Amino acid sequence: MKILLVMPTPFETGRLGLENVIWLAEPVALTSIAATVSDRHEVRLLDMRLEREETLPETLADWKPDLVGTTSMTTDVYQAKAVLRMTRQIVPNALTVVGGHAPTLQPKEFAEPYIDVVVQGEGEDTFQQLCQRWDVQRAHGDRTFAGVAGTRYHDHDTIRVEAKRSQVRSLDDLPAPDRSLVAKYHGRYFFTSARPMASIFTSRGCSFDCNFCAIWEFYERRTRYLSAAKIVDQMQACEERFIFLLDDNFLTNKKRILALCEELERRKVKKLWMTQGRTDFVADNPDIMARLAKNGLVGLLSGFESNDDDNLAALRKKNTFDKNKRANDILRDNGIFSTGIFMVRADWSKEQFDALYDYINTLEIGIPLVTILTPLPGTQLYRLYRDKLMTDDYRLFDLLHCVLPTRLPRAEFYKHFARAIDATEVSCYRAMRSLLFKRPSVWWAMGRNLLWFYARTWRYQRVHRDYTSFLRDEEGLLNGPGARGHLTWRDVQYPTGSEPRTDREGQSLIPLRIPKRTWADDVADASQNPHNHDLPALAAGE
Amino acid sequence: MKTPREFLSDLRDEIEAHPAVNHLFLNRLATSPMSRQDYRVFAENHYPLVCAFTTYMELLLLRAPDSEARLWLSRVLVDEYGEGSEGKDHPTLYASFVDACGGDSGRLGPERLPSPAHAFIQAHQRLVRRGTFLEGLGAVGPGHEWAIPKMFDAIVPGLRRAGLSDDQIGYFTLHLEQDEDHGAWLEEALVRTAGTPEAQAQVRRGALTSLEARMRFWDGVQAAVIRYRQPRATRADGPSPRTLLHEVALTSWDGMTMGRALETWRARRATDARPTLDGMLLACRSLT
Ligand code: B12
Ligand code: SF4
Repeated sequence: MKILLVMPTPFETGRLGLENVIWLAEPVALTSIAATVSDRHEVRLLDMRLEREETLPETLADWKPDLVGTTSMTTDVYQAKAVLRMTRQIVPNALTVVGGHAPTLQPKEFAEPYIDVVVQGEGEDTFQQLCQRWDVQRAHGDRTFAGVAGTRYHDHDTIRVEAKRSQVRSLDDLPAPDRSLVAKYHGRYFFTSARPMASIFTSRGCSFDCNFCAIWEFYERRTRYLSAAKIVDQMQACEERFIFLLDDNFLTNKKRILALCEELERRKVKKLWMTQGRTDFVADNPDIMARLAKNGLVGLLSGFESNDDDNLAALRKKNTFDKNKRANDILRDNGIFSTGIFMVRADWSKEQFDALYDYINTLEIGIPLVTILTPLPGTQLYRLYRDKLMTDDYRLFDLLHCVLPTRLPRAEFYKHFARAIDATEVSCYRAMRSLLFKRPSVWWAMGRNLLWFYARTWRYQRVHRDYTSFLRDEEGLLNGPGARGHLTWRDVQYPTGSEPRTDREGQSLIPLRIPKRTWADDVADASQNPHNHDLPALAAGE
Repeated sequence: MKTPREFLSDLRDEIEAHPAVNHLFLNRLATSPMSRQDYRVFAENHYPLVCAFTTYMELLLLRAPDSEARLWLSRVLVDEYGEGSEGKDHPTLYASFVDACGGDSGRLGPERLPSPAHAFIQAHQRLVRRGTFLEGLGAVGPGHEWAIPKMFDAIVPGLRRAGLSDDQIGYFTLHLEQDEDHGAWLEEALVRTAGTPEAQAQVRRGALTSLEARMRFWDGVQAAVIRYRQPRATRADGPSPRTLLHEVALTSWDGMTMGRALETWRARRATDARPTLDGMLLACRSLT
C-alpha cells in the first residue's frame, strides 16, 4: 500500500509565523507514525514548508497514494484540511486521515466529508492498526473502522467515535521516528543559528497543569520517558551535530537526567543539543545543569511567562519571579543559551509592556520570545474565555495576534507588542557576549551561522517590527463572539493572583474555575453512548 | 487508437485531477475563513478573465471549420451574453460580485491589467489565434468548461462563509450549473471532431496549455492576496536550500532603500507596459 504523509504549511507563505525564522523542526509526528508501518508499506513524506506548492497535487496525481495522512496544531487546521480536500479531489479512492493536537482537542473542526478518519491522542498504534485495516478494506471501499481505538470516522450520517486509546505504552517500545523520510530535507531544519538540526523526543506529557497549555491534558496528566540508553541511541543515529529534544518539559525526572549524562559520558557523545524545560528545575539544580552543559546542552527554551508573581500564579505556573531570575543566571554561568518565552496580556497598559521589556534586559536572555497570552482550544483558559474571543479564525491563535479584547486600542497594543524586538535587543547581545567567553567552541558552532540567521531573520523582522502587519493580518477577521457582542477588555476577568489558595509547597494558586474535564472524558462518553456517535454538546476542548 | 468517447473520458479525468483545477489556493479558499477584503483582491484579479472569455470564443468562431463547431460555440456564446442569467452578461454579473466585496468594478476597465490576468489572457489569445482550431477549442472547451465547475465548487463555500449573499455570488453559482450544460454540449461537439489521433492530441494540447496558464494564474492571485495582507512578506523559501550568499544578498537588497525603490520602479514600469482592461478588450474586438 502507498502512504503519503504531508506536513502542511502553517500559514500562507511569507506571513507572520515562528517557523519563518526562529524554529523549523522536523515533522516528528509524521516520522513517528511512519516508523510503525514503513516496513510493510511504501511511505513518502512531503514537508510542504520546504516544497514547491505544485509538488503536492503532482505527487497525488502521479503516485496515487492509497492513504494520505496529515497533522495539525490549532494554527494549521485550515491548511491541514486543504491538504485532505485536495486529496479527495485528485485521488478520491485514498483514505484521508488527520491526527495531532488540534484533531484531538477540537475534533469537530475536522468533521468534513473529505476527512475519513480523525485520530485522537497518541498516533503510533492507532495508525498501524488503521493501515492494517485499510489495506484489507480498501478493495471494497469500506471506510469504517469499528474496534480501532482512538479513531472517529463517518458511518452513514453520523460520526462514530471509537473508544479512547490508552496512552500508557512505554516509549522505549515505540520504534524510533523514521528519519530517512526527511533525509531529502537534510540541512533545512534549524533552531535560530543552530543548523543543520535533527529533532527527536525523549518524553511525552507534563506533570504540571498550567491553564494556558494543553500538553498535560493531551497526555492525560501522565508523563512517560524514553530511557537514557534509547535517547543516546537516537542521538548517535543523527548525522546532524545539533539536535533538538522536542519534549515540552525535559527537566523533570532527575534520575533519568543523571542516567542520560552518564550514558553520554560513557559513549563519549559530542552532540550539541537543546530542549525545553522549566526554570524552577534549573534554579533548584545548578549542579545538574552544569553537568548537562558539559554533556552538550547548549540551549534551553523555557516559559518565563511573566515578570510578576501574581500573574504566574494566575497562570497556575507554580513558579516564581525569583526562580526565573536565578535560573537565568545559572544558564548564563554554564554557557547555556537561554530562550525565554514571555506572555503579554490583552489588558496590558503601556507601562506593563515597558516593565516587561526592562525585566528582560536585566535578565540578559539570549532570545526573548514575547508572545500574547492566547486561550488555545483544549486548554482551561479556552473554556473560560471561549465566549469572549474576538475571532474564530484559528490562524490567528499563533500567540502573535490578540484574540481577546484589548485595553489599549488594538493599533496601540500592537505598537507596543511589535517593539519587543528592538526593546530587548540589548539582552540578546549581552547573552551572545557571555556565551562567547563561557563556551567559545559552542559560540563558534552557532556563531558561524549567525550571518545566515541574521539574514533570514532580518527580512522577517521587518514584517514583525511593523505593527500594521498584525492589524492587516486580522483585518476583516475579527468576527468572533467577543467582537459580535462588542465586548471590551473589562468584560474579560483575568485571575488576579490575589485569590490565594495554597498548594503543598505553600505557593499561591488560582483554582481552576471549571471542572477538570478533558477531551479524553468526551471520547469516553461519546464511545459509550448507545448510538456510539458524537454528542453535540460535549467536547471539553471546543 | 482511443475512440472519441474513451479519449474524452480520459481527458476529463486528466483535467479534473490537474494541479491547476485543484490548486492549493482554491482548497485554502474552501477551508479558510477568508474575509471580504481577501475576496476583493481575488475578484479584481479574476474579473479581467471573465471579460475576456467571450473574445476567445469570438475569435475561434471565425475559424470554426464546420457548422457543428460553430453551433456549439454560438450556443455557449449566447449563454455568456446573458441568456440563462436574466439578460445579464457574465461581466455584469461578476461586477456585482466585485462591488459586494468592497471593490469598484467601474474603476477596473481603465486600469492596467494585473499581471496574472494579463499572462493568462495572452496565453489564450495566442492559442485561439495562432494555434490550430482544435487547440483553441481544447483550451476554451475542456480547458475551461470541465475545469470551472470543480474550481468554483471550492470557491463558493468560502464566499458564503464570508457573508456574501446568493445574489452577490450569482456569477459563481450560475457557472456551477451552466458549465455542466456547456460541458455536455461540448462533449457532443468533440465526439465528432476528435476522431483521429492527431485531432485528439491537438485538443489535449490546447486543454493542457490552458490549464498550465491557469496554474500560474492561481499562483499569481494567491501571491496578490498574501501581498495585500503583508506587503512586506518575506520571500518564500522554495524547494531548494538558499545558500548563505543568497540569503545575505536578499537581505541586503531588501534592506537598501535604493533596492526597494528600484523594485517599485521596475514593478511600475511592468504595470505601465500592460494594456488596460478596456484597451485589451477593444483590441480583441477589432480583430473579430
Ligand atoms: C516542534 C513544535 C513546533 C514547530 C512546528 C511543528 C513541527 N515541526 O512539528 C514550530 C516551532 C514551528 C511550532 C510552532 C508553534 N507551536 Co508548536 N510545538 C512543537 C512541539 C514542541 C513538538 C511537536 C512534535 O513534533 N511533537 C512530537 C510528536 C511525536 O508528537 P505529536 O505532534 O503530538 O504527534 C503525535 C500525536 O499527536 C499523533 N499525531 C500527530 N499527527 C498525526 C497525524 C496522523 C495522520 C496520525 C495518525 C497521528 C498523528 O501521533 C503522534 C505520535 O504519537 C509541540 C509540543 C509537543 N509535545 O508535541 C508544540 C505544539 C504542537 N505547538 C503548539 C503551539 C501553540 C505552537 C504555536 C501556535 C505557538 C508557539 N509560539 O509555539 C506556533 C504556531 C506556529 C504557526 N506558524 O502558527 C502547541 C499546540 C497546541 C494546539 N492546541 O494545537 C503545542 C502542543 C505546544 C504546547 N505546549 O501546547 N511548534
Ligand atoms: S506550560 Fe510547560 S510546565 Fe506548564 S503544563 Fe505546559 S508543558 Fe507543563
